[in-house]
Amino acid sequence: MGKRRYLLVLLLFGLFIAEGSVLPWFIPPLWQTRLIPHLVFIVILFVAVYENRHKALLLGLLFGLLQDVVYYGAMIGPYSFGMGFTAYLIGLIFKFGRTPLPLMLFAILTGSLMLDSILFGIYKLFELDHHAYSWALMNHMVPNMIFHFIFALAVYVPLRRYLENRTSRRSQEEKA
Amino acid sequence: MLTLFKLLGNKRLFFLLMGLILFIAVMGFTLGPRAGLSWPEKFTKDTVGFVQYIVYKPVSYITGFFEDIANLRSLQKENEELKIALAHYTRDKARYNSIEQDNERYSNLLKFTDEQKARNKDYEYRIAQVISVSNDPDNRSLVINLGSQNGIKNGMAVTSDKGLVGTVSHVSNFTSTVKLLTTLDPKDPNSNAIAATVQGNENKSFGMIESFDSDKGMFLMTKIKSDDPLKEGDTIISSGLGGEFPRFMVIGKVVSRQKGSYGLTDTAYIEPATEFSDWNELFVVITPEVPQ
Repeated sequence: MGKRRYLLVLLLFGLFIAEGSVLPWFIPPLWQTRLIPHLVFIVILFVAVYENRHKALLLGLLFGLLQDVVYYGAMIGPYSFGMGFTAYLIGLIFKFGRTPLPLMLFAILTGSLMLDSILFGIYKLFELDHHAYSWALMNHMVPNMIFHFIFALAVYVPLRRYLENRTSRRSQEEKA
Repeated sequence: MLTLFKLLGNKRLFFLLMGLILFIAVMGFTLGPRAGLSWPEKFTKDTVGFVQYIVYKPVSYITGFFEDIANLRSLQKENEELKIALAHYTRDKARYNSIEQDNERYSNLLKFTDEQKARNKDYEYRIAQVISVSNDPDNRSLVINLGSQNGIKNGMAVTSDKGLVGTVSHVSNFTSTVKLLTTLDPKDPNSNAIAATVQGNENKSFGMIESFDSDKGMFLMTKIKSDDPLKEGDTIISSGLGGEFPRFMVIGKVVSRQKGSYGLTDTAYIEPATEFSDWNELFVVITPEVPQ
């Protein structure tokens, strides 16, 4: 049981490494400033909907903080706050027993837009960003949403099976 | 909004507001200039950096291999150009040596102080391997595999083989974060404008590289005097005035020059010499320490 619990954290860490060290090599140079995938965040959204939003909140805060510390340019906190808060809210809104695929994909789109908007808002608040929201929307938020959508489609089946197995096994253990 | 409150409930709303206050406090605290990183930050950075280092290099080799195949045809042409450049270099080297010797003789004759001599010394370049990239539009940064153990300090300039890339923003023991020049911003308390001049016209031209226009993908150079000879196509280099920043780092080429917003000075758009993508090896420029 203990092994399975750490598997998720290990998977997220692996994705975090891939996000920074592998993925930039596969994005064409022209798109590198416009496509900033948050793969870890997408998996956390899956956890929020198919497992437990409190766990997702914790994971979001943790991996957001990791992102903030490792790529510490201006300040610590935007990713941690954005990822934790968005994951919790998405878990709250989109959890109806067994969420179907289209609704999950809609949740991914909403969550992706929300995270990017929160980040934009925070940088705007501290006067580190001087663009209009509409510019940011067209520049990276919409491309990000499309990329996240495709990624979510690709990992949907294995990830949902894995997460629901975890929760069902746990509830069985609680019953026993 | 009301439904949102209902959805969140009283207890949740309380936690949310507490969290918001906490996070704004943390962001405000970490935004300003800091003396150094605390040990938990250093520990995380170094641990993650180690794993990233293991991953980044093989991936860069593999993708680089395919890129090399694609570039095979242009290789011959590049080779020819490099041969010509080498011929120029060997010719200039002799000239450079004699000028260098003259220079040393004069500085001894004029009794330069140690500080003045140190300023004319060559900088030390240390090769750094990029280990991960974050392309966040408001906070583009790289992580490199050199840290305070290798003598890296905050604010050091980082260049690629083509030109200036950024400055070191935070250092831990074995890795450090490089803030790219694309985040240059006059309103950011941590970003300093770079004093710049024109290559071949170092004593006559002067301006400040102050911000990066991400719509155009160019730097904005300001405070250019109206009688300045700077013109389109000139190569812009850092001037090193002010001491901290190294001299003669290539920044880019002038694309256009126009009147500034107040009409007193001119501004110019500079196209960066580096592409800010597909990172491999970079050089950290270590300025010689001035003996006190």
